[in-house]
Amino acid sequence: MSPSPSILSVLSEDLLVRVYGFLDPPCRKTWRLASKEFHRVDSLSRTSIRILRVEFLPVLLSKYPNLSSLDLSVCPKLDDDVVLRLASNGAVSIQSLNLSRATALRARGLETLARLCHGLERVDVSHCWGFGDREAAALSVAAGLREVRMDKCLSLSDVGLARIVLGCSNLNKISLKWCMEISDLGIDLLCKKCKDLRSLDVSYLKITSDSIRSIALLPKLEILEMVNCPLIDDDGLEYLENGCPSLQEIDVTRCERVSLSGVVSIVRGHPDLQHLKASHCVSEVSRSFLHNIKALKHLKTLWIDGARVSDSSLLTLSSSCRSLTDIGVSKCEGVTDIGMTGLARNCLNLKTLNLACCGFVTDAAISAVARSCRNLETLKLESCHMITEKGLQSLGCYSKLLQELDLTDCYGVNDRGLEYISKCSNLLSLKLGLCTNISDKGIFHIGSKCSKLLELDLYRCGGFGDDGLAAISRGCKSLNRLIISYCGELTDAGVEQIRQLEHLSHLELRGLKNITGAGLAAVACGCKKLDYLDLKKCENIDDSGFWALAYFARNLRQINLCYCSVSDTALCMLMSNLSRVQDIDLVNLNRVTVEGSEFALRACCNRLKKLKLFAPLRFLLSSELLEMLHARGCRIRWD
Amino acid sequence: METEDDLCRNNWGGSSSSSNLREPPVCFTSQHKWEDASILDYEMGMEEEPSLQVFNQMKASTGQDNNGGQVNVDFLQGVRAQAWDPRTMLSNLSFMEEKIHELQDLVHLIVGRNGQLQGRQEQLVAQQQQQQQQLITIDLTSIIIQLISTAGSLLPSVKHNMSTAPGPFPGSALFPYPREANNLASQTLNNNNTCGVHDFDFPKPSVVEERESHVVEEHEMKDEDDVEEGENLPPGSYEILQLEKEEILAPHTHFCTICGKGFKRDANLRMHMRGHGDEYKTPAALAKPNKEALPGSVPMLIKRYSCPFPGCKRNKDHKKFQPLKTILCVKNHYKRTHCDKSFTCSRCHTKKFSVIADLKTHEKHCGKNKWLCSCGTTFSRKDKLFGHIALFQGHTPAIPLEETKPSAQRGSSSGGNSSNNNINTGMIGFNVGSATNANEEVAQPGFMDGKISFEESFSPLCFDTCNFRGFHEFPRPMFDDSESSFQMLISSACGFSPRNGGGGGGESVSNTSL
Repeated sequence: MSPSPSILSVLSEDLLVRVYGFLDPPCRKTWRLASKEFHRVDSLSRTSIRILRVEFLPVLLSKYPNLSSLDLSVCPKLDDDVVLRLASNGAVSIQSLNLSRATALRARGLETLARLCHGLERVDVSHCWGFGDREAAALSVAAGLREVRMDKCLSLSDVGLARIVLGCSNLNKISLKWCMEISDLGIDLLCKKCKDLRSLDVSYLKITSDSIRSIALLPKLEILEMVNCPLIDDDGLEYLENGCPSLQEIDVTRCERVSLSGVVSIVRGHPDLQHLKASHCVSEVSRSFLHNIKALKHLKTLWIDGARVSDSSLLTLSSSCRSLTDIGVSKCEGVTDIGMTGLARNCLNLKTLNLACCGFVTDAAISAVARSCRNLETLKLESCHMITEKGLQSLGCYSKLLQELDLTDCYGVNDRGLEYISKCSNLLSLKLGLCTNISDKGIFHIGSKCSKLLELDLYRCGGFGDDGLAAISRGCKSLNRLIISYCGELTDAGVEQIRQLEHLSHLELRGLKNITGAGLAAVACGCKKLDYLDLKKCENIDDSGFWALAYFARNLRQINLCYCSVSDTALCMLMSNLSRVQDIDLVNLNRVTVEGSEFALRACCNRLKKLKLFAPLRFLLSSELLEMLHARGCRIRWD
Repeated sequence: METEDDLCRNNWGGSSSSSNLREPPVCFTSQHKWEDASILDYEMGMEEEPSLQVFNQMKASTGQDNNGGQVNVDFLQGVRAQAWDPRTMLSNLSFMEEKIHELQDLVHLIVGRNGQLQGRQEQLVAQQQQQQQQLITIDLTSIIIQLISTAGSLLPSVKHNMSTAPGPFPGSALFPYPREANNLASQTLNNNNTCGVHDFDFPKPSVVEERESHVVEEHEMKDEDDVEEGENLPPGSYEILQLEKEEILAPHTHFCTICGKGFKRDANLRMHMRGHGDEYKTPAALAKPNKEALPGSVPMLIKRYSCPFPGCKRNKDHKKFQPLKTILCVKNHYKRTHCDKSFTCSRCHTKKFSVIADLKTHEKHCGKNKWLCSCGTTFSRKDKLFGHIALFQGHTPAIPLEETKPSAQRGSSSGGNSSNNNINTGMIGFNVGSATNANEEVAQPGFMDGKISFEESFSPLCFDTCNFRGFHEFPRPMFDDSESSFQMLISSACGFSPRNGGGGGGESVSNTSL
């Protein structure tokens, strides 16, 4: 493999770097294994890294000097100590830092990090339930921050937000989704102090219309997301009519008190709006709404899921907004073939169409869409029961660019349909959950032709068996996610074939009663990248399978072992050996004793972030163990 | 406006109180009306132009009614002359007497008719009745208006004030309308004035008297304030007193002339004085020395106080001098503004006060202000803190001091030490097992015990062949995408040959029998 010196003399380092720039991330691995020279080019050119194990962090940081993006979100055992040790190595030129789910990281560590990375611009601390005001204050040391994601930082209050707002006044993107302690006061201060804000996410917050009044004063705001804000009403949205002059995207999905008039007032004030997401708050598409929405010549996205839409209004809508690329009309009453045909004729650039639960849509509509909208990439047809192989035939013929197809619960889909679908060779994601009429024959077509498939969902597809799974395993080599829960026909013979899927990271085997330790062992041995494994109710897997899992599945991060017949020893082995495990569900384990649970948890308590346990164990496990888990940032759900 | 009316009542009460008492109750009603009107006037505010117009109209129409005209002329003359003539007053009084008789007759008539009405209610046509009633009502109204206006003209200072400033609006509207011309004009007033007459719902004399006494009281109070409007006293209308600094700061202000003992309150001094002899025990000596002890004496000039501190706004030499009302005000002002704050809060040890009462007020609420700004200011309400922060650059909300946090804090703080140890050991990278163990050792002594017992108790659980430490020291794969380097494992045991074969590393556990 080592390149001859002649190649290197022809290709200068500059050229090598340029060539390297064209490579896909998977190819880069091969590249850096080629030679020392190539490896050097790799280490100099690499700008982003996702760390899986914290032990190697210092080495990697010194190896890749030009890193600008560091992702520590899947890193276990990341705590203040690690960061303090890092600090002794000197400053880092990181601009983007992902600390999502780094629940053990507290104020001291964060402050060190913020000081360490001078040029820090983007930070993600979402899902850190321990991230509170003190941590926010520590983070605010990084004055150059532009983007902050704080989704589900449950302890963050207005005070913490104020610290970040005052410390980092150049913020232009902030997400406060699920920060339930944030109130109008915090939002008001944010809007007063960060005038450069371009993107704001206040979804699920208990804020009132007062906040909207403050938000309306932001001159540069382009994206405003406020999904499910239960206290915001139409009066609040009226402030937006004359505010936020740069607004381009707004999401008011599931805001209980928002009605059509509120949405209309937004539309009236912003003729340049590009994305309007108003699912499940508009009850009916009225004439006034249509009249106003006609003015939006640049509208690209329109979600009105759950509204009552007549065919004529769908026609009017599509004839005026011709640049629409993303339409969501799921659960809309009144959507029929006539409306969809008209829509397809008008919106030729359509890329995404969500028709979930539109029960009256038939093959005619799908055919029309497939014929007219050749750029279609995503099609969601969940629970469209009228769809049969005819519709899928035209999809296979015309929609060559289709990447994502959701046919969950479409019982009109059969083997012939799958054969047609398999002609969409660019398909990346295919969801066939609850399609009981498909068998090995259909699956075989998918496996043989859809080689690019990344995600396949076969949840409760009882009709296919081991041969089908073998075909998938042979054909879809790049498969990332595979869901074969409750496919009762599957046995060890089929599941063993999964080991061929090297890139598999997410595997759900829930409720497969026929598989045993041998099957699991094969999977564990073959799928090195396995990160998520669901074994709930796989009752016949014995300890040999779990032993194998403990030895091979070193990258396993999340595992569900509920109702498994795992023994004390196997559990202890698993927990102590799986050095990346962070999220475990351990409910209803009949063969595991209290002592076994205690030992198993002690073995992995420094890396756990989330844990589901049988409720009575709360009083049976030692208190020091529980304290330790809490201190390390682990959340326990008692079931 | 206030002052005018006060003065009106003032003179009414003063000069014509004797006649008032002799007047029949009806007269009280008129007085009552007058009051109402003036109260109404307070509410309506002052409209200069319209009232003047009304005034002129009245002037023009005076000729039509003889009696009324007479009064009006007199009145207007009085206005012009700004003089108080007892003869005019006498004639006014006699006029009023006449009018009151008229009024009495009318009322008798109505009473009689009412009795008849009750007898033959059904026979009478309602319309006729109403018409008659209306006529009587109009008569009544005009008489009462005349009475009121005449009574008003009894007050010399009213004229004076009316000439300088326009009179109370409804008051002047009530002013002599000619009886004939009244028919239309009073229609509008009907709502206000006739209703009482209609129902004969005269206020009871006792009520009126109550009101009157109230008026007198008010007059006494106002008398003190003279022509004061709010606190904007014109300079010179009050007496300015200035206490010296020593006087202000002296703990006691009342001293015993015999023994020299000081007291804060005069009452306490008087109590004390009793001990010095029987002459101090007389009721006179113990009585509160009252400023207005002598009723009817010339009202004293009101007192206002000046702060002795030069340049202070409360100092009399200041351009925009604002006097202090009482001695207590002076004391508190001087201490608050010009003295050191010597009383420190015993709870927060930061807030200081110069007036002990302020300290006590603060201490009641101290500690409840949990919203703290980085500048040290505390707020009892979160929105106030956020308003403060939004206003001032560089201020941030402070996060309350560390509560003692459980092991996490301790663990990480001691972790710093352990990290040094680790670095000193010269390990390349981090030895996972030992590093974490070291941390836990320091952080959780109790837990370390648990760890030991864990390892010990593992052997009974049939882990004999399994070396735990061995697992810890397995070489670990760095990345997802890097070739993992443990193909070494229990291939024989599991019956699988990992496809990417290669040299294994680390200790083999293949001896673990499965």
